[in-house]
Amino acid sequence: MFFDFIKRNSRKVRKENGVYFASLVISIVAFYVILSLGEQDIIVYLKTVESDAVERLLLMIPILYAVSLFFVFFLVYFANRYQLQQRSHEFGMYLMMGMKQSKLFVMIMGETLWNGLVALCIGVPISLFLTELISLATSRLIGMGIIGHEFRISWVGLGLTVFGFIVVQLLAVFILSFRMSGKEPIDLLKDQKEKSQRVLSPVWSMVGILSGAVLLLGAIFLCVAYGLAVLYLRSLDYRIFALILIIGICGTFILFRGLGSLIGAWVKRKSSSSTGLFVFTARQLQENVLHQWGSLAISSLLILMAMVCFAFGTSTALNNSATSSRTVDFTFKGSEEEIVSALTSDKLAPYVNSYNVMELGNFSPIDSETSENTAARTWSGLEEAISKEENSEEKENLLRNLSMNDSPYYISLSSYNTILTSINKAPIILEDDEVAMYSDEEYSYSYDILRTALQNNPTIGIGEKQYELMSTLYTSNVVADRAITLSYALIVPDAIYDSFIGRSQDPWLWNMTLNAEFIEEKGLMQAMYEVEQLMNTFGLDFESYLSSMGRQLFYTVAGSYTTFYLGIMFLIIANTVLGINFLMQQRSTRHRYSTVAMLGASIESLCSSARKQIWLYFGLVISVSLVSSVFGIWSLLTAFPSTTLSIENSMVVAIILIVFIVFELCYIWMIQRKSDEEIKKFKEIE
Amino acid sequence: MNISDKLLQVKAVYKTFGEGQSETVALKGVSFDVLPGEFLGIMGASGSGKTTLLNSVATMLKPTAGQILLEGKNISSFRGSQLAKYRGSKIGYLFQEFELIDNLTARENIILPLSIHGVNPEEQEEQLQKLVKQFDIESVLNKFPSQMSGGQKQRVAAARALISNPSIVLADEPTGALDTKNAKTLMDKLYANNQEEGSTILMVTHDANAASYCSRILFIQDGVIFHELRKKVPGETQNAFYERILTVLAQLGGGSSNVL
Repeated sequence: MFFDFIKRNSRKVRKENGVYFASLVISIVAFYVILSLGEQDIIVYLKTVESDAVERLLLMIPILYAVSLFFVFFLVYFANRYQLQQRSHEFGMYLMMGMKQSKLFVMIMGETLWNGLVALCIGVPISLFLTELISLATSRLIGMGIIGHEFRISWVGLGLTVFGFIVVQLLAVFILSFRMSGKEPIDLLKDQKEKSQRVLSPVWSMVGILSGAVLLLGAIFLCVAYGLAVLYLRSLDYRIFALILIIGICGTFILFRGLGSLIGAWVKRKSSSSTGLFVFTARQLQENVLHQWGSLAISSLLILMAMVCFAFGTSTALNNSATSSRTVDFTFKGSEEEIVSALTSDKLAPYVNSYNVMELGNFSPIDSETSENTAARTWSGLEEAISKEENSEEKENLLRNLSMNDSPYYISLSSYNTILTSINKAPIILEDDEVAMYSDEEYSYSYDILRTALQNNPTIGIGEKQYELMSTLYTSNVVADRAITLSYALIVPDAIYDSFIGRSQDPWLWNMTLNAEFIEEKGLMQAMYEVEQLMNTFGLDFESYLSSMGRQLFYTVAGSYTTFYLGIMFLIIANTVLGINFLMQQRSTRHRYSTVAMLGASIESLCSSARKQIWLYFGLVISVSLVSSVFGIWSLLTAFPSTTLSIENSMVVAIILIVFIVFELCYIWMIQRKSDEEIKKFKEIE
Repeated sequence: MNISDKLLQVKAVYKTFGEGQSETVALKGVSFDVLPGEFLGIMGASGSGKTTLLNSVATMLKPTAGQILLEGKNISSFRGSQLAKYRGSKIGYLFQEFELIDNLTARENIILPLSIHGVNPEEQEEQLQKLVKQFDIESVLNKFPSQMSGGQKQRVAAARALISNPSIVLADEPTGALDTKNAKTLMDKLYANNQEEGSTILMVTHDANAASYCSRILFIQDGVIFHELRKKVPGETQNAFYERILTVLAQLGGGSSNVL
């Protein structure tokens, strides 16, 4: 009987707060998706390629989960606070009818639990379906043969989803109902009225100045935070970071605190010259801002975080796919005899397009005294050219790296040209007394400054002689992946190479490219995967471009997946809090709407007033976070130079922005429809 | 007396709530007229149907049968925008619980009906100033309802009901939530407005004191009008009229079988 009662009540709650309930379902899906990440096909595959990095990512998941739990707690707490406030009269009645406080408490907890279970029943199948869909889509995208696909349920993930979700719900409602249980029935019976308008000082001008000052203070705080973020965040000093966070957060809160009074002053000024429902609309909005400035500020900060997450995720995804340049497919380490015999064997030969030795080695004179002298001479010309550039962190790093790079690697011109021709690039033609510079893509942060310095053709010393550096910087990888990573090396004519290195070191790196037709037939990843399987049978020490791709894929997945995940969570929570806030306030002020209807406002004009309120309400929050996000993204881009947003990428950024706007519009539209429904209930007179 | 003299005509109005076994008939064919400038009271015991009658006239309830004509137009058949046009401009309301909008200041509350009906701001101000003096609410104009006393609230509500110069003001127990002193002040002001501005007021009340301000009183019981009292003009004092009302009420308390 009591259980039926709980079921009936929770059905009512679900029906009346569809928006909130939908958000609960979404958060269940989000929990499971993040928790089951370790079981997803793509991650299972990446574990085989990049186990360390994947382990690190998987270690981050509990943090993401905790962060999400915290924000879901926030959502549940706020939403339930309004709901319980709404129902306080009902609870007062139960107490008056003889229900014990403890039973009331059990009832509320029971309702929460029941609603949580219903949400789980809906959410869990959806999340299983969704993760399956993601898995299938990524497998398709990359190639079934590589990743493979099987249906998996992450039992740990599922368990943690259910546990976390239920605990958060019960905890939030426990706190709320605990606070409520201290109230007398009379308080509960009367509590349902909305807080009355703040009693304002009779000296209106003072209030105006005060609210202006508060607003100004908030704005100043925000500006300081923006400025600090743009100027100093790049130094990555945690004190600056904390300062920016504190000032920014305080600024946002103070701003919303001041806004309420400012709207009041504005309404007062306009009220004598307005017609229609202007005053009513503005006063309703003012009340919302005055009473809920805290949750407005939090929502605004959440939207800001969502936008920064999206920007970061997008740029990570875009940059990783942009840097994936393929030169050769496989690199072998070992003796010539062993490698050549394998590559020319019947098994492998049909797949091989070409194979070459990669001639590179570092010049290390035997005499330590000469070494010092030589090292000092090698880069000195370049260092001089670089020191003329504008001061920057990149410049300092570059100079430091060069000074530590005592004995640079030399790459023979002919083997580097082989690579360049295989990827259809023009080979290097070196004049007499000329050498070229090579730098691995991992050091791309210094490319800009290096390229400018190279324009003046600085000289470098090799042995006794001075050579001029070509003005082009070469960055095409000398191996398939990471068999060797050269920060700064010199591409020298074969004669020089032979005279300095050739005699002392045997070549130990071999590059191989796959047959183009085979790649065309199978697709790059699939082709490499198949050949890799074959090669394993020869027991060779090799690496393939596949692992480089895998790593890029991983960084893209890790970088964009997690940030998008957090972004979406933040966005949904912020919007739900805003939406529920508004609808609850509207419901608790129903009598006002009916009074205004009695005074002659048509239902249509009431609906349009509420719609305007919703626009302004969401607009205020979103515009504050939009302004903040401009600075947030700006400082993000300056603080992490690797996250650049080039013009080509701006299309993608524009699309993300459009998706964001469409999402917000859909949400606003949904809340407006709900509000219309609510108002239309007055329409029919009996 | 021709039809144009009658401001409000209530013709054989029936109102039934519920269906089948739970059917309750609240009004059983009530008919009466209200003349322009009249201060009409409706009295009756709880459950007699007086509030149902007022709500029907106020367009909050639709009669099951019968007609309610305001200035010759059947308002009970109005819908949507037609209804909205009448509310607040042709009909002013004064409620027992004031029903002021608590996040609007007194000034904003009073001029709201004019704003809704698109009256220009200058005209709004002119009307407002006139009523502010009459109802003595100058000091609370910029205050919110939570900062006013009950009496002030009801006077603000009265000003709101009258600001659009409605054809008729409907008052539902306007003194119900007020103490004697505030009730007297409010009734004095309403009476003065009725006498000086010629406003028409239809008031439902329990309070014999408030009723004594009326020029005519209809007594309603079990959904029918069973008695009418008129103040003798000129000559009868308010006190004498009050005594007569009390007599009727005493008989009312004894049940309909021994009425007059």
